[in-house]
Amino acid sequence: MMKTGKTSNLLPPAANENRAETWDAMGRPINQRKTEVRLGREVQARIGQQLRAMYDDIVSQGVPQHLANLVRRLGDQDNGAK
Amino acid sequence: MKLDPAIRDQVLATVPSLRAFAISLCGNVDRADDLVQETLLRALAHIDSFQPGTNMPAWLFTILRNLFRSEYRKRRREVEDPDGRYAETLKSHPEQGGRVEFSEFRAALAKLPSEQREALILVGASGFSYEDAAAICGCAVGTIKSRVNRARTRLADLLAIDSVDDFGPDRATRAVLARGARG
Repeated sequence: MMKTGKTSNLLPPAANENRAETWDAMGRPINQRKTEVRLGREVQARIGQQLRAMYDDIVSQGVPQHLANLVRRLGDQDNGAK
Repeated sequence: MKLDPAIRDQVLATVPSLRAFAISLCGNVDRADDLVQETLLRALAHIDSFQPGTNMPAWLFTILRNLFRSEYRKRRREVEDPDGRYAETLKSHPEQGGRVEFSEFRAALAKLPSEQREALILVGASGFSYEDAAAICGCAVGTIKSRVNRARTRLADLLAIDSVDDFGPDRATRAVLARGARG
């Protein structure tokens, strides 16, 4: 997606425009990142799927017995509240 | 006074998701289960500060997140390279907390700054609204949105799926692509 043949490419980034000091965490200019984000709609859908699959895999393991016992035990005892 | 069984059931119903959040944050099941246990102890000791009818998951997630952050800060002081150590833990136990098939994704997730990781998980996996996620993390809604965006962009880079063209290949090919990106 790189633009080529523009003389501005020969200049250091800071000389291109006033906002060139705005970089993202990856060290890329913000405007470049925005383009990538737009392009990556399907990439993002894929990441979302993987993230949920990983998370749901753990959720489906339910409540470990020792944690269930803990909640029931603490719930049954007097907690000193009014 | 005994705990209201309805409240108790709400707590229990939140545990699986709370645990998934903790494992995603820690990358280590044992540490995550300790964190969940500590969260439950603290929550039940202060159950009076929970207002019935409000969002139980958000309340428990907030407690867990605060515990995790304070522990993380403590570790940072104690250990010179917490991220390196954390990465090693992941490498030696890639199967923890889930099936092996997620190890590549999990490793990429672990490379995100923790603030981006938690924002992405809360919104993208736990299903919280941006508003709830902001309340849980104690920051502005706009901050959560930008963290989620940066997390997604970084993950795409780490997984070497920069364009739609990279989708077709099977898992083995994607692994090669990912290696190339790392090299």
